[in-house]
Amino acid sequence: MTQTVSGVAPSAGAAPAAERRVDWTRYSQQAGLIAVVVLLGAVFTAKNSDFATSSNLIELLRAATLYFIVACASTMILVGGGLDFSIGAVYALGAVVSGELMTHNVWWPVAILGGIAAGVLVGLLNAAISVYLSVPPLIATLGTFFVASGLAVVMTSGSDVFGFPDSFINLGAGDIAGIPNLIFYALAVGLIFHVLLERTLFGYDTRALGGNRAAAAANGIRVARRDLQLYSISGGVAALAGILGAARLSTASPTAGGSGLTFQVITAVIIGGTSLFGGSGTIAGSALGAILFAEINNGLQVVNVNPLYQQIFIGVILVAAVAIDQYQRKRRFRA
Amino acid sequence: MTPSTAPALQLRGISKRFGHVTALAGVDLTAYDGNILAVLGDNGAGKSTLIKVISGVHQPDEGEIQVNEESVILRNPADARTAGVATVFQDLALVEVLDVSTNMFLGQFPRRGWFVDRKAMDQQSRAFLDELRVTVASVKTEIGMLSGGQRQIVAIARAMRTGAQIVLLDEPTAALGVRETAHAADLIRALRDRGTAVICVSHDMNFVFEVADRVQVMRLGRVVGVREIATTTRDEVIGLITGSIADSPTEERT
Repeated sequence: MTQTVSGVAPSAGAAPAAERRVDWTRYSQQAGLIAVVVLLGAVFTAKNSDFATSSNLIELLRAATLYFIVACASTMILVGGGLDFSIGAVYALGAVVSGELMTHNVWWPVAILGGIAAGVLVGLLNAAISVYLSVPPLIATLGTFFVASGLAVVMTSGSDVFGFPDSFINLGAGDIAGIPNLIFYALAVGLIFHVLLERTLFGYDTRALGGNRAAAAANGIRVARRDLQLYSISGGVAALAGILGAARLSTASPTAGGSGLTFQVITAVIIGGTSLFGGSGTIAGSALGAILFAEINNGLQVVNVNPLYQQIFIGVILVAAVAIDQYQRKRRFRA
Repeated sequence: MTPSTAPALQLRGISKRFGHVTALAGVDLTAYDGNILAVLGDNGAGKSTLIKVISGVHQPDEGEIQVNEESVILRNPADARTAGVATVFQDLALVEVLDVSTNMFLGQFPRRGWFVDRKAMDQQSRAFLDELRVTVASVKTEIGMLSGGQRQIVAIARAMRTGAQIVLLDEPTAALGVRETAHAADLIRALRDRGTAVICVSHDMNFVFEVADRVQVMRLGRVVGVREIATTTRDEVIGLITGSIADSPTEERT
Protein backbone atom coordinates (compact mmCIF):
# COMPACT_ATOMS: atom_id res chain seq x y z
CA MET A 1 0.00 0.00 0.00
CA THR A 2 2.04 2.91 -1.23
CA GLN A 3 -0.93 5.23 -1.56
CA THR A 4 -4.16 5.69 0.25
CA VAL A 5 -7.03 4.32 -1.74
CA SER A 6 -10.04 6.12 -0.39
CA GLY A 7 -10.35 9.65 -1.75
CA VAL A 8 -10.46 11.43 1.60
CA ALA A 9 -7.04 10.44 2.89
CA PRO A 10 -4.92 13.47 3.70
CA SER A 11 -2.59 11.65 6.07
CA ALA A 12 -0.34 9.72 3.69
CA GLY A 13 2.24 11.57 1.68
CA ALA A 14 2.63 14.96 3.33
CA ALA A 15 4.66 13.75 6.28
CA PRO A 16 5.94 16.92 7.96
CA ALA A 17 2.59 18.70 7.72
CA ALA A 18 0.81 15.80 9.39
CA GLU A 19 3.35 15.70 12.18
CA ARG A 20 3.01 19.39 12.94
CA ARG A 21 -0.75 19.30 12.84
CA VAL A 22 -0.94 16.49 15.39
CA ASP A 23 1.28 18.33 17.83
CA TRP A 24 -0.67 21.53 17.44
CA THR A 25 -4.18 20.14 17.95
CA ARG A 26 -3.04 18.15 20.96
CA TYR A 27 -2.23 21.33 22.82
CA SER A 28 -4.67 23.76 21.24
CA GLN A 29 -7.27 23.36 23.93
CA GLN A 30 -4.69 24.06 26.62
CA ALA A 31 -3.41 27.08 24.71
CA GLY A 32 -6.99 28.32 24.49
CA LEU A 33 -7.46 27.73 28.19
CA ILE A 34 -4.32 29.67 29.07
CA ALA A 35 -5.63 32.52 26.90
CA VAL A 36 -8.96 32.46 28.76
CA VAL A 37 -7.23 32.43 32.17
CA VAL A 38 -4.97 35.36 31.19
CA LEU A 39 -7.78 37.34 29.55
CA LEU A 40 -10.09 36.86 32.50
CA GLY A 41 -7.25 37.89 34.82
CA ALA A 42 -6.76 41.05 32.78
CA VAL A 43 -10.47 41.87 32.99
CA PHE A 44 -10.54 41.34 36.78
CA THR A 45 -7.38 43.41 37.20
CA ALA A 46 -8.83 46.23 35.11
CA LYS A 47 -11.91 46.27 37.33
CA ASN A 48 -9.94 46.05 40.57
CA SER A 49 -6.14 46.13 40.71
CA ASP A 50 -6.24 44.12 43.96
CA PHE A 51 -6.81 41.01 41.86
CA ALA A 52 -3.23 40.91 40.58
CA THR A 53 -1.52 41.32 43.96
CA SER A 54 0.76 38.44 44.88
CA SER A 55 -1.19 37.71 48.06
CA ASN A 56 -4.44 37.39 46.11
CA LEU A 57 -2.85 35.23 43.42
CA ILE A 58 -1.39 32.94 46.08
CA GLU A 59 -4.81 32.72 47.72
CA LEU A 60 -6.30 31.91 44.31
CA LEU A 61 -3.83 29.08 43.77
CA ARG A 62 -4.34 27.77 47.29
CA ALA A 63 -8.05 27.61 46.67
CA ALA A 64 -7.41 25.50 43.59
CA THR A 65 -5.06 23.01 45.28
CA LEU A 66 -7.43 20.54 46.92
CA TYR A 67 -9.65 20.37 43.85
CA PHE A 68 -6.59 19.89 41.69
CA ILE A 69 -5.22 17.06 43.83
CA VAL A 70 -8.51 15.16 43.46
CA ALA A 71 -8.63 16.14 39.77
CA CYS A 72 -5.28 14.43 39.10
CA ALA A 73 -6.74 11.05 39.99
CA SER A 74 -10.01 11.85 38.22
CA THR A 75 -8.04 12.68 35.07
CA MET A 76 -6.44 9.25 35.20
CA ILE A 77 -9.84 7.59 35.66
CA LEU A 78 -11.43 9.51 32.77
CA VAL A 79 -8.43 8.84 30.50
CA GLY A 80 -8.87 5.17 31.44
CA GLY A 81 -12.47 5.31 30.24
CA GLY A 82 -13.99 5.26 33.72
CA LEU A 83 -15.75 7.75 35.96
CA ASP A 84 -15.62 8.22 39.72
CA PHE A 85 -18.52 10.10 41.25
CA SER A 86 -17.75 8.96 44.78
CA ILE A 87 -14.79 11.35 45.20
CA GLY A 88 -16.81 14.05 46.98
CA ALA A 89 -18.04 11.61 49.59
CA VAL A 90 -14.66 9.89 49.94
CA TYR A 91 -13.16 13.34 50.56
CA ALA A 92 -15.37 13.65 53.64
CA LEU A 93 -14.98 10.02 54.67
CA GLY A 94 -11.18 10.18 54.58
CA ALA A 95 -11.18 13.35 56.68
CA VAL A 96 -13.62 11.94 59.21
CA VAL A 97 -11.85 8.59 59.57
CA SER A 98 -8.51 10.34 60.15
CA GLY A 99 -10.15 12.81 62.51
CA GLU A 100 -11.86 10.11 64.57
CA LEU A 101 -8.61 8.17 64.80
CA MET A 102 -6.75 11.25 66.03
CA THR A 103 -9.38 12.09 68.61
CA HIS A 104 -8.99 8.49 69.81
CA ASN A 105 -5.32 9.18 70.41
CA VAL A 106 -3.93 7.48 67.34
CA TRP A 107 -0.61 9.04 66.25
CA TRP A 108 -1.46 11.49 63.45
CA PRO A 109 0.67 9.94 60.65
CA VAL A 110 -1.06 6.62 61.30
CA ALA A 111 -4.41 8.40 61.36
CA ILE A 112 -3.66 9.87 57.92
CA LEU A 113 -2.83 6.42 56.57
CA GLY A 114 -6.06 5.13 58.10
CA GLY A 115 -8.07 7.79 56.30
CA ILE A 116 -6.33 7.07 52.99
CA ALA A 117 -6.94 3.35 53.49
CA ALA A 118 -10.67 4.04 53.86
CA GLY A 119 -10.58 5.88 50.52
CA VAL A 120 -8.66 3.06 48.84
CA LEU A 121 -11.25 0.58 50.12
CA VAL A 122 -14.08 2.58 48.57
CA GLY A 123 -12.06 2.71 45.34
CA LEU A 124 -11.56 -1.06 45.33
CA LEU A 125 -15.27 -1.47 45.93
CA ASN A 126 -16.02 0.86 42.97
CA ALA A 127 -13.80 -1.15 40.65
CA ALA A 128 -15.11 -4.49 41.91
CA ILE A 129 -18.73 -3.41 41.40
CA SER A 130 -18.11 -2.13 37.89
CA VAL A 131 -15.77 -4.93 36.75
CA TYR A 132 -17.25 -8.03 38.38
CA LEU A 133 -20.92 -7.04 38.58
CA SER A 134 -20.83 -5.20 35.24
CA VAL A 135 -22.50 -2.15 36.77
CA PRO A 136 -21.54 0.99 34.78
CA PRO A 137 -19.01 3.12 36.72
CA LEU A 138 -21.47 6.04 36.81
CA ILE A 139 -23.96 3.95 38.79
CA ALA A 140 -21.39 2.05 40.85
CA THR A 141 -19.69 5.22 42.07
CA LEU A 142 -22.98 7.05 42.55
CA GLY A 143 -24.00 4.19 44.82
CA THR A 144 -20.77 4.29 46.81
CA PHE A 145 -21.06 8.09 46.95
CA PHE A 146 -24.19 7.71 49.06
CA VAL A 147 -22.74 4.84 51.09
CA ALA A 148 -19.52 6.75 51.87
CA SER A 149 -21.49 9.93 52.68
CA GLY A 150 -23.72 7.96 54.96
CA LEU A 151 -20.80 6.28 56.69
CA ALA A 152 -19.12 9.64 57.32
CA VAL A 153 -22.30 10.99 58.91
CA VAL A 154 -23.00 7.86 60.95
CA MET A 155 -19.42 7.69 62.30
CA THR A 156 -19.60 11.24 63.59
CA SER A 157 -23.31 11.31 64.43
CA GLY A 158 -23.44 14.17 61.98
CA SER A 159 -21.21 16.59 63.86
CA ASP A 160 -17.78 17.97 63.04
CA VAL A 161 -14.66 16.34 64.45
CA PHE A 162 -11.92 18.56 65.90
CA GLY A 163 -9.16 18.72 68.47
CA PHE A 164 -6.21 17.70 66.30
CA PRO A 165 -2.51 17.89 67.16
CA ASP A 166 -0.68 21.01 65.97
CA SER A 167 1.74 19.14 63.74
CA PHE A 168 -1.25 17.73 61.81
CA ILE A 169 -2.94 21.14 61.50
CA ASN A 170 0.34 22.63 60.32
CA LEU A 171 0.31 20.22 57.36
CA GLY A 172 -2.71 21.96 55.89
CA ALA A 173 -2.52 25.44 57.38
CA GLY A 174 1.23 26.03 57.40
CA ASP A 175 3.36 27.77 54.82
CA ILE A 176 6.95 28.00 53.63
CA ALA A 177 8.16 31.57 52.98
CA GLY A 178 4.59 32.77 52.69
CA ILE A 179 3.56 30.13 50.20
CA PRO A 180 0.98 27.71 51.63
CA ASN A 181 2.11 24.09 52.05
CA LEU A 182 -0.92 23.01 50.03
CA ILE A 183 0.55 24.58 46.90
CA PHE A 184 3.70 22.48 47.28
CA TYR A 185 1.64 19.33 47.80
CA ALA A 186 -0.41 20.10 44.71
CA LEU A 187 2.76 20.63 42.65
CA ALA A 188 4.20 17.34 43.89
CA VAL A 189 0.98 15.40 43.28
CA GLY A 190 0.58 16.99 39.84
CA LEU A 191 4.15 16.10 38.85
CA ILE A 192 3.78 12.52 40.06
CA PHE A 193 0.53 12.05 38.14
CA HIS A 194 1.91 13.71 35.02
CA VAL A 195 4.87 11.32 34.96
CA LEU A 196 2.61 8.39 35.81
CA LEU A 197 0.25 9.16 32.93
CA GLU A 198 2.76 10.22 30.27
CA ARG A 199 5.76 8.01 30.93
CA THR A 200 4.96 4.80 32.74
CA LEU A 201 3.52 1.49 31.64
CA PHE A 202 0.55 2.19 33.91
CA GLY A 203 -0.14 5.44 32.04
CA TYR A 204 0.20 3.85 28.61
CA ASP A 205 -2.05 0.98 29.61
CA THR A 206 -4.57 3.46 31.03
CA ARG A 207 -4.77 5.39 27.75
CA ALA A 208 -5.18 2.18 25.80
CA LEU A 209 -7.87 1.04 28.22
CA GLY A 210 -9.83 4.25 27.82
CA GLY A 211 -9.27 4.51 24.08
CA ASN A 212 -10.55 1.03 23.29
CA ARG A 213 -11.16 -1.33 26.16
CA ALA A 214 -11.74 -4.37 23.94
CA ALA A 215 -8.53 -3.71 22.02
CA ALA A 216 -6.55 -3.29 25.22
CA ALA A 217 -7.88 -6.61 26.53
CA ALA A 218 -7.34 -8.38 23.21
CA ASN A 219 -3.72 -7.25 23.21
CA GLY A 220 -3.02 -8.70 26.59
CA ILE A 221 -3.47 -5.67 28.85
CA ARG A 222 -5.02 -6.86 32.11
CA VAL A 223 -7.93 -4.45 32.13
CA ALA A 224 -9.58 -5.55 35.38
CA ARG A 225 -6.33 -5.15 37.30
CA ARG A 226 -5.81 -1.69 35.83
CA ASP A 227 -9.35 -0.71 36.86
CA LEU A 228 -8.73 -1.86 40.41
CA GLN A 229 -5.55 0.23 40.50
CA LEU A 230 -7.17 3.30 38.95
CA TYR A 231 -10.16 3.38 41.30
CA SER A 232 -8.04 2.63 44.38
CA ILE A 233 -5.77 5.54 43.48
CA SER A 234 -8.80 7.77 42.98
CA GLY A 235 -10.26 6.78 46.34
CA GLY A 236 -6.93 7.16 48.14
CA VAL A 237 -6.20 10.56 46.61
CA ALA A 238 -9.72 11.89 47.30
CA ALA A 239 -9.35 10.82 50.93
CA LEU A 240 -5.90 12.44 51.13
CA ALA A 241 -7.32 15.72 49.82
CA GLY A 242 -10.11 15.55 52.40
CA ILE A 243 -7.56 14.95 55.17
CA LEU A 244 -5.48 17.94 54.02
CA GLY A 245 -8.66 20.01 53.90
CA ALA A 246 -9.43 18.96 57.48
CA ALA A 247 -5.90 19.90 58.53
CA ARG A 248 -6.29 23.34 56.94
CA LEU A 249 -9.59 24.03 58.73
CA SER A 250 -8.64 22.14 61.95
CA THR A 251 -11.98 20.41 61.50
CA ALA A 252 -13.16 17.24 59.78
CA SER A 253 -16.72 17.72 58.63
CA PRO A 254 -18.84 14.78 57.43
CA THR A 255 -20.53 17.15 55.00
CA ALA A 256 -17.32 18.54 53.45
CA GLY A 257 -16.76 17.82 49.76
CA GLY A 258 -19.97 16.18 48.69
CA SER A 259 -21.62 16.39 45.31
CA GLY A 260 -20.34 19.96 44.89
CA LEU A 261 -16.75 18.74 44.96
CA THR A 262 -17.50 15.80 42.66
CA PHE A 263 -19.06 18.07 40.05
CA GLN A 264 -16.45 20.80 40.31
CA VAL A 265 -13.57 18.35 39.97
CA ILE A 266 -15.03 16.49 37.00
CA THR A 267 -15.99 19.79 35.36
CA ALA A 268 -12.46 21.18 35.84
CA VAL A 269 -10.98 18.00 34.33
CA ILE A 270 -13.25 18.17 31.30
CA ILE A 271 -12.66 21.90 30.79
CA GLY A 272 -8.97 20.97 30.87
CA GLY A 273 -9.42 18.91 27.72
CA THR A 274 -9.86 15.40 29.11
CA SER A 275 -12.41 13.47 27.12
CA LEU A 276 -15.36 11.90 28.88
CA PHE A 277 -15.07 9.12 26.31
CA GLY A 278 -11.62 8.02 27.41
CA GLY A 279 -8.15 7.87 25.95
CA SER A 280 -7.25 11.54 25.89
CA GLY A 281 -6.45 14.04 28.60
CA THR A 282 -3.57 15.64 30.45
CA ILE A 283 -2.71 16.61 34.01
CA ALA A 284 -1.59 20.06 32.82
CA GLY A 285 -5.03 20.60 31.31
CA SER A 286 -6.70 19.65 34.58
CA ALA A 287 -4.43 22.06 36.44
CA LEU A 288 -5.59 24.84 34.12
CA GLY A 289 -9.21 23.78 34.60
CA ALA A 290 -8.83 23.93 38.38
CA ILE A 291 -7.07 27.31 38.18
CA LEU A 292 -9.82 28.71 35.94
CA PHE A 293 -12.40 27.59 38.48
CA ALA A 294 -10.56 29.26 41.33
CA GLU A 295 -9.96 32.36 39.24
CA ILE A 296 -13.63 32.83 38.44
CA ASN A 297 -14.61 32.32 42.07
CA ASN A 298 -11.90 34.62 43.38
CA GLY A 299 -12.22 37.26 40.65
CA LEU A 300 -15.98 37.66 40.94
CA GLN A 301 -15.55 38.32 44.67
CA VAL A 302 -12.71 40.80 44.09
CA VAL A 303 -14.77 42.80 41.60
CA ASN A 304 -17.84 42.61 43.84
CA VAL A 305 -20.01 40.56 41.56
CA ASN A 306 -22.43 38.29 43.37
CA PRO A 307 -20.52 34.98 43.68
CA LEU A 308 -23.71 33.17 42.76
CA TYR A 309 -22.95 34.13 39.16
CA GLN A 310 -19.99 31.77 39.31
CA GLN A 311 -22.13 28.78 38.44
CA ILE A 312 -23.50 30.44 35.32
CA PHE A 313 -19.95 31.24 34.20
CA ILE A 314 -18.76 27.70 34.79
CA GLY A 315 -21.70 26.19 32.97
CA VAL A 316 -21.08 28.29 29.88
CA ILE A 317 -17.34 27.58 29.89
CA LEU A 318 -17.88 23.82 30.30
CA VAL A 319 -20.24 23.58 27.36
CA ALA A 320 -18.07 25.84 25.21
CA ALA A 321 -14.90 23.87 25.99
CA VAL A 322 -16.46 20.54 25.10
CA ALA A 323 -18.17 21.93 21.99
CA ILE A 324 -14.84 23.29 20.71
CA ASP A 325 -13.16 19.98 21.50
CA GLN A 326 -15.81 18.01 19.62
CA TYR A 327 -15.54 20.33 16.63
CA GLN A 328 -11.77 19.80 16.46
CA ARG A 329 -12.17 16.07 16.87
CA LYS A 330 -14.56 15.92 13.94
CA ARG A 331 -12.10 17.73 11.73
CA ARG A 332 -9.21 15.61 12.89
CA PHE A 333 -10.49 12.04 12.90
CA ARG A 334 -12.31 10.09 10.27
CA ALA A 335 -15.83 9.15 11.20
CA MET B 1 2.50 -29.60 0.44
CA THR B 2 1.60 -30.16 4.07
CA PRO B 3 4.91 -29.82 5.86
CA SER B 4 6.18 -32.99 7.43
CA THR B 5 7.25 -31.11 10.56
CA ALA B 6 5.29 -31.20 13.80
CA PRO B 7 2.27 -28.89 13.87
CA ALA B 8 2.69 -25.47 15.48
CA LEU B 9 -0.94 -25.45 16.58
CA GLN B 10 -3.28 -28.35 16.93
CA LEU B 11 -6.92 -28.28 18.04
CA ARG B 12 -8.65 -31.53 18.90
CA GLY B 13 -12.38 -31.98 19.39
CA ILE B 14 -13.10 -28.36 20.30
CA SER B 15 -16.74 -27.76 21.23
CA LYS B 16 -18.34 -24.52 22.29
CA ARG B 17 -21.96 -23.88 23.18
CA PHE B 18 -23.75 -20.62 23.92
CA GLY B 19 -26.92 -21.60 25.74
CA HIS B 20 -28.72 -23.95 23.37
CA VAL B 21 -26.67 -22.94 20.35
CA THR B 22 -23.75 -25.17 19.48
CA ALA B 23 -21.24 -22.88 17.78
CA LEU B 24 -18.47 -25.49 17.49
CA ALA B 25 -18.96 -29.25 17.55
CA GLY B 26 -15.80 -31.32 17.81
CA VAL B 27 -13.63 -29.12 15.64
CA ASP B 28 -10.07 -30.16 14.77
CA LEU B 29 -7.50 -27.83 13.26
CA THR B 30 -3.83 -28.18 12.44
CA ALA B 31 -1.50 -25.34 11.50
CA TYR B 32 2.15 -25.64 10.53
CA ASP B 33 5.09 -23.26 10.66
CA GLY B 34 5.69 -21.46 7.38
CA ASN B 35 2.26 -22.39 6.07
CA ILE B 36 -0.94 -20.42 5.49
CA LEU B 37 -4.16 -22.15 6.47
CA ALA B 38 -7.36 -20.49 5.31
CA VAL B 39 -10.59 -21.19 7.18
CA LEU B 40 -13.61 -20.80 4.94
CA GLY B 41 -17.29 -21.13 5.69
CA ASP B 42 -20.64 -19.47 5.36
CA ASN B 43 -22.09 -17.17 8.01
CA GLY B 44 -22.77 -19.16 11.16
CA ALA B 45 -20.20 -21.83 10.30
CA GLY B 46 -18.34 -21.11 13.55
CA LYS B 47 -15.30 -19.33 12.09
CA SER B 48 -15.43 -16.38 14.46
CA THR B 49 -16.00 -18.57 17.50
CA LEU B 50 -13.04 -20.70 16.44
CA ILE B 51 -10.80 -17.62 16.18
CA LYS B 52 -11.96 -16.46 19.59
CA VAL B 53 -11.17 -19.85 21.12
CA ILE B 54 -7.65 -19.85 19.68
CA SER B 55 -7.05 -16.26 20.75
CA GLY B 56 -8.22 -16.90 24.31
CA VAL B 57 -11.36 -14.74 24.15
CA HIS B 58 -13.67 -17.76 24.53
CA GLN B 59 -12.88 -20.91 26.46
CA PRO B 60 -13.94 -24.19 24.83
CA ASP B 61 -16.40 -26.45 26.66
CA GLU B 62 -14.56 -29.51 25.41
CA GLY B 63 -11.41 -30.33 23.53
CA GLU B 64 -7.71 -29.71 23.64
CA ILE B 65 -5.40 -27.03 22.28
CA GLN B 66 -1.75 -27.86 21.69
CA VAL B 67 1.02 -25.45 20.81
CA ASN B 68 4.21 -27.19 19.66
CA GLU B 69 2.68 -30.47 20.80
CA GLU B 70 2.21 -29.23 24.34
CA SER B 71 -1.23 -28.84 25.79
CA VAL B 72 -2.15 -25.27 26.72
CA ILE B 73 -5.14 -23.68 28.44
CA LEU B 74 -5.94 -20.18 27.17
CA ARG B 75 -8.01 -18.43 29.82
CA ASN B 76 -7.64 -14.98 28.30
CA PRO B 77 -5.91 -13.16 25.41
CA ALA B 78 -2.83 -12.62 27.56
CA ASP B 79 -2.45 -16.40 27.92
CA ALA B 80 -2.73 -16.79 24.16
CA ARG B 81 -0.01 -14.21 23.64
CA THR B 82 2.24 -15.94 26.10
CA ALA B 83 1.67 -19.18 24.20
CA GLY B 84 2.83 -17.44 21.01
CA VAL B 85 -0.52 -16.69 19.37
CA ALA B 86 -1.15 -13.19 17.97
CA THR B 87 -4.55 -12.24 16.56
CA VAL B 88 -5.59 -9.56 14.07
CA PHE B 89 -9.26 -9.13 14.84
CA GLN B 90 -11.83 -8.11 12.28
CA ASP B 91 -12.56 -4.92 14.19
CA LEU B 92 -8.75 -4.52 14.24
CA ALA B 93 -8.46 -3.92 17.98
CA LEU B 94 -6.59 -0.66 17.46
CA VAL B 95 -6.92 2.34 19.76
CA GLU B 96 -8.00 5.24 17.56
CA VAL B 97 -6.92 8.05 19.86
CA LEU B 98 -3.40 6.63 20.16
CA ASP B 99 -0.62 6.90 17.62
CA VAL B 100 0.76 4.23 15.33
CA SER B 101 3.79 3.26 17.38
CA THR B 102 1.82 3.03 20.63
CA ASN B 103 -0.63 0.76 18.85
CA MET B 104 2.19 -1.33 17.43
CA PHE B 105 3.38 -2.06 20.97
CA LEU B 106 -0.01 -2.28 22.72
CA GLY B 107 0.25 -4.65 25.65
CA GLN B 108 4.02 -5.03 25.15
CA PHE B 109 5.42 -1.54 25.70
CA PRO B 110 9.23 -1.53 25.83
CA ARG B 111 10.56 -0.15 29.08
CA ARG B 112 13.64 1.54 30.44
CA GLY B 113 13.54 1.22 34.18
CA TRP B 114 10.23 2.61 35.38
CA PHE B 115 9.38 4.32 32.15
CA VAL B 116 8.10 3.34 28.74
CA ASP B 117 10.89 3.76 26.20
CA ARG B 118 9.07 6.02 23.77
CA LYS B 119 12.13 6.59 21.58
CA ALA B 120 12.81 2.88 21.09
CA MET B 121 9.12 2.38 20.37
CA ASP B 122 9.08 5.05 17.64
CA GLN B 123 12.37 3.91 16.10
CA GLN B 124 11.42 0.25 16.03
CA SER B 125 7.97 1.02 14.65
CA ARG B 126 9.46 3.19 11.92
CA ALA B 127 12.07 0.58 11.01
CA PHE B 128 9.51 -2.19 11.00
CA LEU B 129 6.98 -0.34 8.87
CA ASP B 130 9.72 0.70 6.42
CA GLU B 131 10.82 -2.90 6.15
CA LEU B 132 7.26 -3.85 5.25
CA ARG B 133 7.05 -0.91 2.84
CA VAL B 134 4.07 0.48 4.75
CA THR B 135 3.58 4.16 4.05
CA VAL B 136 2.51 6.00 7.14
CA ALA B 137 3.40 9.68 7.28
CA SER B 138 4.55 9.55 10.89
CA VAL B 139 4.50 6.85 13.53
CA LYS B 140 3.11 9.58 15.78
CA THR B 141 -0.03 9.84 13.65
CA GLU B 142 -3.14 8.80 15.52
CA ILE B 143 -4.81 5.68 14.14
CA GLY B 144 -8.04 7.67 13.85
CA MET B 145 -6.43 9.72 11.07
CA LEU B 146 -5.61 6.68 8.91
CA SER B 147 -7.73 5.11 6.21
CA GLY B 148 -9.33 1.71 6.75
CA GLY B 149 -6.66 0.08 4.62
CA GLN B 150 -3.81 1.72 6.49
CA ARG B 151 -5.34 0.59 9.76
CA GLN B 152 -5.57 -2.99 8.52
CA ILE B 153 -1.95 -2.93 7.46
CA VAL B 154 -0.88 -1.51 10.83
CA ALA B 155 -2.86 -4.25 12.58
CA ILE B 156 -1.16 -6.96 10.53
CA ALA B 157 2.23 -5.33 11.02
CA ARG B 158 1.60 -5.33 14.76
CA ALA B 159 0.93 -9.05 14.76
CA MET B 160 4.17 -9.54 12.83
CA ARG B 161 6.09 -7.32 15.20
CA THR B 162 5.14 -9.35 18.25
CA GLY B 163 7.18 -12.17 16.74
CA ALA B 164 4.39 -14.61 17.50
CA GLN B 165 4.81 -18.13 16.15
CA ILE B 166 1.13 -18.36 15.24
CA VAL B 167 -0.77 -15.46 13.69
CA LEU B 168 -4.56 -15.47 13.37
CA LEU B 169 -6.19 -13.12 10.89
CA ASP B 170 -9.94 -12.56 11.02
CA GLU B 171 -11.24 -11.37 7.62
CA PRO B 172 -8.05 -9.48 6.77
CA THR B 173 -9.41 -8.10 3.51
CA ALA B 174 -12.98 -7.33 4.57
CA ALA B 175 -12.66 -3.55 4.37
CA LEU B 176 -9.90 -3.23 1.78
CA GLY B 177 -9.71 -1.95 -1.76
CA VAL B 178 -7.92 -3.80 -4.55
CA ARG B 179 -4.49 -2.29 -4.00
CA GLU B 180 -4.70 -2.64 -0.24
CA THR B 181 -5.79 -6.26 -0.56
CA ALA B 182 -2.70 -6.95 -2.65
CA HIS B 183 -0.51 -5.34 -0.03
CA ALA B 184 -2.17 -7.33 2.73
CA ALA B 185 -1.52 -10.49 0.71
CA ASP B 186 2.16 -9.52 0.42
CA LEU B 187 2.38 -9.01 4.16
CA ILE B 188 0.76 -12.35 4.88
CA ARG B 189 3.19 -14.12 2.53
CA ALA B 190 6.09 -12.30 4.19
CA LEU B 191 4.77 -13.60 7.49
CA ARG B 192 4.77 -17.17 6.16
CA ASP B 193 8.25 -16.78 4.70
CA ARG B 194 9.50 -15.86 8.15
CA GLY B 195 8.31 -19.28 9.28
CA THR B 196 5.12 -18.17 11.00
CA ALA B 197 2.10 -20.43 11.12
CA VAL B 198 -0.69 -18.28 9.64
CA ILE B 199 -4.40 -18.98 10.08
CA CYS B 200 -6.62 -16.75 8.02
CA VAL B 201 -10.41 -16.68 8.30
CA SER B 202 -11.95 -15.27 5.17
CA HIS B 203 -14.99 -14.98 2.95
CA ASP B 204 -12.88 -13.92 0.02
CA MET B 205 -12.40 -16.96 -2.22
CA ASN B 206 -10.04 -15.17 -4.62
CA PHE B 207 -7.86 -14.06 -1.76
CA VAL B 208 -7.78 -17.57 -0.27
CA PHE B 209 -6.81 -19.21 -3.56
CA GLU B 210 -4.17 -16.59 -4.17
CA VAL B 211 -2.53 -16.63 -0.76
CA ALA B 212 -3.28 -19.78 1.23
CA ASP B 213 -1.45 -23.11 1.18
CA ARG B 214 -4.23 -25.13 2.73
CA VAL B 215 -7.92 -24.54 3.27
CA GLN B 216 -10.20 -25.84 5.98
CA VAL B 217 -13.92 -25.59 5.27
CA MET B 218 -16.44 -25.33 8.07
CA ARG B 219 -20.18 -25.67 8.05
CA LEU B 220 -22.62 -25.37 10.96
CA GLY B 221 -19.91 -25.65 13.60
CA ARG B 222 -18.16 -28.67 12.05
CA VAL B 223 -15.14 -29.18 9.86
CA VAL B 224 -16.32 -30.56 6.51
CA GLY B 225 -13.00 -30.76 4.73
CA VAL B 226 -9.34 -29.84 4.67
CA ARG B 227 -7.65 -29.47 1.27
CA GLU B 228 -4.37 -28.41 -0.26
CA ILE B 229 -4.95 -25.34 -2.38
CA ALA B 230 -2.67 -26.79 -5.08
CA THR B 231 -4.81 -29.88 -5.52
CA THR B 232 -8.33 -28.60 -4.99
CA THR B 233 -10.65 -26.47 -7.08
CA ARG B 234 -12.95 -23.59 -6.33
CA ASP B 235 -15.92 -25.76 -7.23
CA GLU B 236 -14.92 -28.38 -4.72
CA VAL B 237 -14.44 -25.80 -1.96
CA ILE B 238 -17.76 -24.12 -2.79
CA GLY B 239 -19.41 -27.53 -2.71
CA LEU B 240 -18.01 -28.14 0.76
CA ILE B 241 -19.14 -24.71 1.97
CA THR B 242 -22.70 -25.16 0.73
CA GLY B 243 -22.90 -28.84 1.69
CA SER B 244 -23.47 -30.16 -1.81
CA ILE B 245 -20.31 -32.26 -1.43
CA ALA B 246 -20.42 -34.87 1.32
CA ASP B 247 -18.47 -34.27 4.52
CA SER B 248 -14.97 -35.60 4.67
CA PRO B 249 -13.67 -34.00 7.82
CA THR B 250 -10.75 -36.27 8.60
CA GLU B 251 -9.45 -36.95 5.11
CA GLU B 252 -6.59 -34.68 4.36
CA ARG B 253 -4.98 -35.22 0.98
CA THR B 254 -1.24 -35.13 0.93
